[in-house]
Amino acid sequence: MPVTRSWRDPTEATLAKWLLAPAFLLLGLIVVYPVGRLLVTSVYELSLTSGLPAKFVGLDNFAMMLDDPVFWTALWNTLLIVVVTVPGSMLAGLALALVANMPFRIRWPVRLALLIPWALPLAFVGTIAAWFFQSEYGVVNDVLRHVRDHKIIWFNSGTLSMMAVCLTIIWKASSFVALILLAGLQTIPAEMYEAAEMDGAGRLRQFWSVTLPLLRPSIVVAMIFRTITALQTFDIPATMTRGGPGNATTTLAMYIHQTTVDFLDLGYGSTLAVAMFVISMAVSVVYLKQIRTNT
Amino acid sequence: MSPLILRRLAAFAVIVNGLFPAIWILFTSLKTERELMQTPITWFPSAPTIDNYVHAFHDQPLARFVFNSVLVALTSTALTIFIATLAAYAIARLQIGFRNTALSIIIATSTFPLVTLLVPLFETMRAIGILNSYAALILPYTVLSLPVCTLVLVSFFESIPADLENAAMVDGCTRLGALWKILVPLAAPGMFTAGILAFVNSWDEFLLALSFNSVPALRTLPVGITLYQGEFSFPWPIISAALVVGIVPVAVLIILFQQRVLSGLTAGGVKG
Repeated sequence: MPVTRSWRDPTEATLAKWLLAPAFLLLGLIVVYPVGRLLVTSVYELSLTSGLPAKFVGLDNFAMMLDDPVFWTALWNTLLIVVVTVPGSMLAGLALALVANMPFRIRWPVRLALLIPWALPLAFVGTIAAWFFQSEYGVVNDVLRHVRDHKIIWFNSGTLSMMAVCLTIIWKASSFVALILLAGLQTIPAEMYEAAEMDGAGRLRQFWSVTLPLLRPSIVVAMIFRTITALQTFDIPATMTRGGPGNATTTLAMYIHQTTVDFLDLGYGSTLAVAMFVISMAVSVVYLKQIRTNT
Repeated sequence: MSPLILRRLAAFAVIVNGLFPAIWILFTSLKTERELMQTPITWFPSAPTIDNYVHAFHDQPLARFVFNSVLVALTSTALTIFIATLAAYAIARLQIGFRNTALSIIIATSTFPLVTLLVPLFETMRAIGILNSYAALILPYTVLSLPVCTLVLVSFFESIPADLENAAMVDGCTRLGALWKILVPLAAPGMFTAGILAFVNSWDEFLLALSFNSVPALRTLPVGITLYQGEFSFPWPIISAALVVGIVPVAVLIILFQQRVLSGLTAGGVKG
């Protein structure tokens, strides 16, 4: 006789499906469906300001994108931010983590100094940085006043604005990197260092031969996170420079937002978003391959 | 110099680097507009005033921004934890073939760029008329934190011995009963840790908040802060006061639960 199970006591497989259902339903609704929708909209001309119904245009939007100088500027700025701030925040974060891992009797002040920047909203950091780099009354120029005679007007020049934006991103992101690396440092057993010391390895040698190799998994994780978030840079330039001067600090994410929300051009906005999607998926795949071949 | 002094100097540099901006904003918020526009600039406020705080609450609905941020963050956090607990339990405890696939899919979604979801979500929300509502933010924020919370909870569940639940089930408890009566109370610290991460994620989010809610009454803090500046006017002391109001709640949370946040980041980061 088959056992009839009550709904209160289902089999493990059935129960698992029910328990996972809410998560997958929500992911489907908020992630998978929108991505599919995005691919469809990207081949339509759909502008909410024109009031016209969506019109199929094939790859016209993509041709338009390749001819759009603002797209190339935004892409270039985004890649520049990735190339500068990922290594920058990794190095700064490693330095912060090494200090935080030192054997102090009182550890909370240093940890707090990593956690507060991590928890600060990016939009706050951008606003604060705009004030810090203000040419007349900003604290950055006040400190620089002691080493050079004339003040720097940061936000009038594209290059200097980009420098200020990158420095700010590095400051903000290094705290996150440091927290991930600190967790990794704490898993390295002390015996490893004792053994290295017995073999006559100095401090520097220990760092290269023990710390760095054992920290590798954490470094890879932090680097993947950082690259993906750097590609999506929006909050800091949006609040700090608003993309200016001109489009000197406009990122791809800012251009997508502007096209979609301000100009209500959903067709072209989707096309730009598809470009962003392809780029970040390509980066993820490259990283995943790296991890597979190296571990 | 002895190594100890060098180490203390390094620690001091890290502390200044991390806390200086927040402290500088606190100082700025206590200065008068006149003191701010002096060169060379002053570091400590010469005559501290709370006028800027009065203005910050008066010039923009700052109290409303705080309320909106708290409401959206708390609701989405509660939803995330509920959904992530169910999913994490299935992944950590049940004998199912697709557990690794399920976990991989949940983690993979966290690598999707938020801005690519912006366009279709904006279009859909506009079509069904939920732009300018709390739901427009709560739903995406719930998804935003789902991967990291699921990871934290899976590793937490795995650290709790299964014997306790098995014993309960031998005594006639169902699986769901064991989850609810045995595991959830034991996993409460883990749920709390995941909750803090989800709360901070929602509290910080800017892009969707800026795009989906254009009505001032529904603005959250990160967007609200940007409304103080005019086209050419930057009332820095007032902006600073508003920033301090926005920083304090999260700073208190961090100071109170430092260890939990650190362990949550470890579980989410090292495994992710």
